[in-house]
Amino acid sequence: MAELNPQPLPPRVRVFLSRDATYDLAKMQKITATVLGRLGCEGCHSGHVLDFQTLQDFVVNPETLEVREGFVGPGF
Amino acid sequence: MAQGSESAPGELGVGLVYWSALDPLFEAGPETVAVLELEPQSLWEKAGRSGVWQYRANEGLLQQVARFPQHKLVHGIGQPLGGTTPDPVEHLPLLRHAVDLLDPAWISEHLSFNRVEAADGVEEAGFLLPPRQSRAGVRLAADNIACLRSALGRPVAFETGVSYLEPRADELDDASFFRGVAELADCGILLDLHNLWCNELNGRARVADVLAGLPLDRVWEVHLAGGMPLSGYWLDAHSGAVPAPLIDLAADIMPSLRGLRALMFEISPEHLPTIGIDGVYRQLEELRGLWALKPPHGTPRSVPSSPAQARMHAGLSDLDEARCWEHALVDAIRGRSTAANAYGSVAADPGVGILRELVGSFRRASLVRALRYTMTSLLAGLGSEETQALLDAYVAEHDPDPYPAVEADQFAGFLKQRAHVLEQVPYLAETLEFEHGLLRATLYGVGTDVEWSADPTAVFEALDAGHLPTDLQPMHSHIRIG
Repeated sequence: MAELNPQPLPPRVRVFLSRDATYDLAKMQKITATVLGRLGCEGCHSGHVLDFQTLQDFVVNPETLEVREGFVGPGF
Repeated sequence: MAQGSESAPGELGVGLVYWSALDPLFEAGPETVAVLELEPQSLWEKAGRSGVWQYRANEGLLQQVARFPQHKLVHGIGQPLGGTTPDPVEHLPLLRHAVDLLDPAWISEHLSFNRVEAADGVEEAGFLLPPRQSRAGVRLAADNIACLRSALGRPVAFETGVSYLEPRADELDDASFFRGVAELADCGILLDLHNLWCNELNGRARVADVLAGLPLDRVWEVHLAGGMPLSGYWLDAHSGAVPAPLIDLAADIMPSLRGLRALMFEISPEHLPTIGIDGVYRQLEELRGLWALKPPHGTPRSVPSSPAQARMHAGLSDLDEARCWEHALVDAIRGRSTAANAYGSVAADPGVGILRELVGSFRRASLVRALRYTMTSLLAGLGSEETQALLDAYVAEHDPDPYPAVEADQFAGFLKQRAHVLEQVPYLAETLEFEHGLLRATLYGVGTDVEWSADPTAVFEALDAGHLPTDLQPMHSHIRIG
């Protein structure tokens, strides 16, 4: 079983892939690391955080399948 | 070094609140950025192993911050100074560690509150909220400052806060409140000029009037930032360049700040693309121009860093009054009845709606951050309106948590109870199981088995492009997360 251990933050999170996985392991590692790398707390502040609005603007219109590019912030 | 930007002993200079996206500027050295101010909680995670919540710091990042050549300051954002309810999660050892490592000349925190006592423990407010602005609030804040000073062995400054609420007849005006806290606590002031400017624009006291009432010799630090409009309010969003009128205002006050030792620019990482690294560099140049206007550094006011035994000022009736206010405001934001509360009239304050929206935006951002592919699936599969309705239902049922992984863990549990949603959106169940599995491994150290019916990298590639995966070859695979 292939092992991915992309966790940048201690303690380690280990991800194992079954032998029947034929997909790109490097991509899987990057995806896993991306998710785990975004868990740090940016704390309470008095700002207006637009991550959801940014994602909402980026997601394709389901009727036209047209990608609408809006403001894309860090991490997207 | 730029002309006029020289700093006298004890003065630190012009700097930035730290985010890793700004590393190139810190790496450029002290002539570009003289001061690095760290919000230590930004490097913390919350974990619930062995059934007890704990904070843990990203030690690697903290050491990296410590290695930067700039003067360091520590600015707390998790245990504010204006509230009655302490953080139930042990945090002082991590704060002490950050202070010992970074050796700041002083520590600052917000004059706000962010949690209340609840029947079953502590309820997080999900935002920094204006405290009870009265004599009782002054005494409470002074005690909190004394405790923090004693715990960390450093002088403490409080930040002048933003409030989106209307002034109340039953409270002190802003200047009197800030002055009262500074004098009773014998502490420093972090003068956040953008906060005061927001307050004026949003109907509270004029900046000039607040400044006229402050003991300006206690101002050790000034924060400047940009903001943004929302529903008729000007928000302290740290969202761009400092507005020109605020630069002018800062230029007017700088000659009066004899005790000023640091001048900081704040910008949030999600808003950095608005002005870019070059834009931040230009802001630093502008702030160095302001720095040159300050008077010759006088003898710093002597303030205690660690008094042998601080006298507590707040009595039980003060705590009761402040708790009552805190519950009224949190209940109002959460849409609960405030009829029985002496301060229940706050529910009618239009600023409550803004606070509700800001709490919501922070919570939604946490979910996007920690459940990115799940949220993309929902938006692509359900559409904006239905996703928003789902989020509204979740927010109404569950209290916030400022840590994205904890908020997202809670939402994942909520979503898993909605089988009709999971069935409606292709690959949503598997995507959620995968992301939730990663969260649970890091939060609780528990394992998850995820069965995939298609290539997960193909699923995520589609979601990265902003649309649902379609026409994927069936392919079984198994992932174990632990």
